[in-house]
Amino acid sequence: MKKISVYRPSTLEEAIQILSAHGPEAGVYAGGTDLLVRLKNRLQQAPTYLVDIKRIQNLRYIRDDGQGGVRIGAATKLAELADSVLLRQRYPMLVEAVNMISSPELRNASTLGGDLLQEVWCQYLRGGYSCWRNGGYMCYGAIGDNSYYHSAMGGRLCYAVYPGDAATALIPFDARVKLATAAGEKELTLEQLVPGDLLVDGRIQSHVVRHNEILTEVLLPAPKPGLRASFEKLRPRGVWDFAMASLGMSLELRGNTIQDARVVFGGIAGKPLRERAVESFLRGKELTDGLRDGAMAAALAGAAPLKYNAMKIEMAKGLLASGIAKLSETHAADPSHPV
Amino acid sequence: MQPIQAILFEPIGCLAEFPSGPFHEIAALLSGAVKKKPSPSGSRGYWHLLNLMEATGLPGRGSLELAAVRAASLYEDAVPALAELKQMGVPLRIASSLGHAALTRFVDDHKLGPFFDEVWSRDNAGGIKSIPIRQAAAGLSGAIFLTDTLAGLQSAQAAGVNAILMMNNPDEARRLAGYGPAGGIVSLHELPDFVRLLVSRGKRAVV
Repeated sequence: MKKISVYRPSTLEEAIQILSAHGPEAGVYAGGTDLLVRLKNRLQQAPTYLVDIKRIQNLRYIRDDGQGGVRIGAATKLAELADSVLLRQRYPMLVEAVNMISSPELRNASTLGGDLLQEVWCQYLRGGYSCWRNGGYMCYGAIGDNSYYHSAMGGRLCYAVYPGDAATALIPFDARVKLATAAGEKELTLEQLVPGDLLVDGRIQSHVVRHNEILTEVLLPAPKPGLRASFEKLRPRGVWDFAMASLGMSLELRGNTIQDARVVFGGIAGKPLRERAVESFLRGKELTDGLRDGAMAAALAGAAPLKYNAMKIEMAKGLLASGIAKLSETHAADPSHPV
Repeated sequence: MQPIQAILFEPIGCLAEFPSGPFHEIAALLSGAVKKKPSPSGSRGYWHLLNLMEATGLPGRGSLELAAVRAASLYEDAVPALAELKQMGVPLRIASSLGHAALTRFVDDHKLGPFFDEVWSRDNAGGIKSIPIRQAAAGLSGAIFLTDTLAGLQSAQAAGVNAILMMNNPDEARRLAGYGPAGGIVSLHELPDFVRLLVSRGKRAVV
């Protein structure tokens, strides 16, 4: 591991000052389950100056926002989300999704912010290849083994998939995030936070957070009346693993009619992929198991699989079918009790 | 790698899919022998022909090259990528070992003229393989040349130009990645980001 320096600021302002002073060589250190591995993997983009935000008050909480929604501090551990009674009551699908992220041990250390902003887990990047994200000029995943960690929906220099599950589960609830910046607070939708690969401060990354900005909070609005949500995930190992394909879906029902829908695929593209064609297809229809075929036909028309990962598209469509079946079944069993 | 001063394109395999048949036909005419297992790849057929022309000193066959050009199909991302690069102010040049007539026909057929500020063929460059590349890159220290074959990589390297692999075929690209290309792209639509990344990395280095 390269030689590093660690700062332990006690306020956000101090942390931002340190980050600004060191430029892209500095990085936020919270749970460390991604950052420390990046350092261990000797990635060129791994920071030299770690700004440990664990001493900063008020970044680790799960609170009722007083309007039926919930606010979650970015440094809250995934295990704390999984154990939260408040989240279980209001967003059971989110709790279900969090329980599918990595292992219990890692959930005790990983933070929500870290899950949202983690680096991709391409085996070529982590294996030290000189790829786009590691100072080089080629994507080895595009021409090598791309069966697992790579996009089946095209790429933009780097073909690695966005690996986080939390974003896929949060977007169906129209979650937003807050960033602390040198110019004050900034609020974004989750989709704006992780829009897919882009150049930020001279680096390719999956999120828009600049080197001197800190993700501070995730805001979940009150669940709409009649909202039903489901999270599905396929992974190579059932115990813990990244998604080969995942699906976060929410349906806003009035009676049995779908008023609105959010359909988000994970593990198949460089970002959590909101599939608006399926959302349009579902809107205005009666929720029945019979929607599966039409939804699958409408899904992922822009697929551009690499040599070894066309099955990801089939997996994602399969998850869509099972998600619709599950929501249809639970709604039929108890229409008065949305989940 | 330095910021890109110009991008040099070999049309065959980098801007368009060419049939291999006409190139194998010319090769058979020059060598008097027919390849038992000719490659179905237009690029490989073309560069095999260039190797043969270089070895024998014999000229190409313009009429058969024109047949290849007529059957070529432009990649769907070529025009959008060229337009964006042009808008970004990146000089674009063609550096090919095709004859002048075939190259002009290719550019005209696909209405590519406005994108390119220079077109180098074997006729105006005075030779094949590395010679058109060297001419197109004259006076530039940051030119890149796109190619999808080993002979193309070697020609660029001989011309002192950064060779960028067009990774059209993943298996072939994986093999060629071992020959030291300066970089590689899967699709032409990545070129504008490539240029931006180099500029951005250059700035970081200065900072």
